[in-house]
Amino acid sequence: MLERQIVVGNRLGLHARAAARLVQTLARFQSAAVLARAGREVNAKSIMGVMLLAAPKGSTVTLRLSGVDEEEAMQAVLDLFESRFDEDA
Amino acid sequence: MRRAFSGIGATRGLALGRACIVQPQALDIAEERIEPGRVEAELERLHEALSEARRELIAVRERIRGAIALELGEFLDLHALLLEDPELLSGLDQLIRTGHYSADYALKLQRDRLAAVFDSIDDPYMRSRREDLDHVVGRVHAALHRGGDCVDAPGGLAGEVLVTDTIAPSELAQLTERGIVAIVTAQGSALSHSAILARSLHLPLVVGAHEALSHVNDGDAIMVDAGSGQVIVEPNAQDLRRFRQLQRENEREQRQLARLKRKATRTRDEVDIALYANAESRQDVSQALELGAAGIGLYRTEFLFLQRNELPTEEEQFFAYRDVVLGMGGRPVTIRTLDLGADKADSCGLALGAEPNPALGVRGIRLSLREHGLFRTQLRAILRASGYGPLRILLPMVSCREEVLAVRELLLECTRDLRDEGHEIAEQVELGAMIEVPAAALALAGMIRHVDFVSIGTNDLVQYLLAADRNNDQLGSIYSPLHPAVLRLLHEIFALGRRTRTPVLVCGEVAGDERYTRLLLALGLTRFSLHPGSLLQVRRVVRDADLHALRRQAPALLRAADRAGIERALQRLEAPE
Repeated sequence: MLERQIVVGNRLGLHARAAARLVQTLARFQSAAVLARAGREVNAKSIMGVMLLAAPKGSTVTLRLSGVDEEEAMQAVLDLFESRFDEDA
Repeated sequence: MRRAFSGIGATRGLALGRACIVQPQALDIAEERIEPGRVEAELERLHEALSEARRELIAVRERIRGAIALELGEFLDLHALLLEDPELLSGLDQLIRTGHYSADYALKLQRDRLAAVFDSIDDPYMRSRREDLDHVVGRVHAALHRGGDCVDAPGGLAGEVLVTDTIAPSELAQLTERGIVAIVTAQGSALSHSAILARSLHLPLVVGAHEALSHVNDGDAIMVDAGSGQVIVEPNAQDLRRFRQLQRENEREQRQLARLKRKATRTRDEVDIALYANAESRQDVSQALELGAAGIGLYRTEFLFLQRNELPTEEEQFFAYRDVVLGMGGRPVTIRTLDLGADKADSCGLALGAEPNPALGVRGIRLSLREHGLFRTQLRAILRASGYGPLRILLPMVSCREEVLAVRELLLECTRDLRDEGHEIAEQVELGAMIEVPAAALALAGMIRHVDFVSIGTNDLVQYLLAADRNNDQLGSIYSPLHPAVLRLLHEIFALGRRTRTPVLVCGEVAGDERYTRLLLALGLTRFSLHPGSLLQVRRVVRDADLHALRRQAPALLRAADRAGIERALQRLEAPE
């Protein structure tokens, strides 16, 4: 099981588009994923869940991954947050 | 039996076809339980419907192209994800397995549960994503009821007129490809996303026809005049004659107008009038060129900022601006800097405070001068594009000279920086001010020598002058350019432009309204900037006009004390010389 705290850096936070990118990324991996913020936990592979978490810019979310490919998955997610969800592309 | 009703015509066009009714979904689904023995079958039915909905989305995604694809793509991706959402799906399975609800009802319950959570979120952007949930759910409901739904008719929909409650943009694209000739909806507005899309697709669309679903039966012959919003069911012989006549007139008009494409916009007394185009997309630009516009008089840049989570980068903006400049093949392009207020700015990542009165708030040039980083980025992108062709900059909502001077400073700085970085910047990039704030219009004499041209934004100018919101349909005809104050102000500005040899354009809706062309010519205007769709009509009026005779009528127009007086004077303008 891996757990990391990640700061949401893109301008409008985990809005629909960013949430979609996150969910699409996690869908590639087998590991179960949970995203938590301020006491609320959601299935990170659920677009509804992530959107409803509505994590704004500057907030910190906790990602917990557990499964055979948890390391790869974690790296992929960290890259995504780092690149601010490729929104400049 | 002939029946007639009307709605709001959202696009132009006539159509005659067979009615295809699609009833409104989802909202009135009655609670329905199934026998325990049928659980597996019901689950299968649900999963079939979900698969079908997914397949449809993929199909739509593949079929749409161009500008529509860019707009819709994002929503379709989101919808696809919603259909795969483990939360949504497990909830549904649970409801059927343990609750013994029917697939439809389980779907409704799940949707309601999720909608409630959406509604509780304090963020308007997120709340509006609830529509996406509804669209997706609607699609699954439709798939569950495939039996009676003609939208899936194997022969396609050639010659059909769809009559339904509302229509989503994604459905519109798909339906047009399948041959639908018109759409009539009971709800909806002419300003919706669907209406805008229908216009680009040249699909006759009538919205807000509340009685539609009660007057039309599946298979009825139905005639739609989108221009007037009139719908006739089971038209009689007279209706059909009138339809054919209207069709012939439309075709004749189109042919006539088409002939004007390459003709000069020259009055009968040999004066050249410049017609520029207002644009915001590649289609507008290519249409402008095709119709012989003198250039782009107003290129709106807001679309680069809206419906996004982050501000557009300099590179992104530069490519967009360069695109337009190259697309106009040497004709001048006027780019208007960001014209947004705090009310819209939220949706593009600028966290500004809420304003009680956005129309009178921090918008246009005020916003740009306050958001330095944003403004520099846009100016840099524009300046970089200037190396590729004649480019002008237009500043929205200017209210005083200081604003123009501040921008000139900024432009000098940016130009210096860019040249130091090795970019090719044009020697001369003209700077203009949009005149829409009354103070600027009245004090223009003191400001005009600091700008290279002015462009009168009549939409907002009239709004501020008459203290009337142009979107408020309770005001009746109060919002109208036919007010003595408006005419006199315009006349003054045109004259000031001539005296100081500063080009003056009008870029508001009146410029594209052929009813006002002679009026504007009479008052002294020689440069119009208008939507390409109106260019040929206005050119026709100009070619038919005797400019000097019209101008001689100006004193009479300006003397009119009220709207009635103006209208009388206008009628004399219309009379053949």
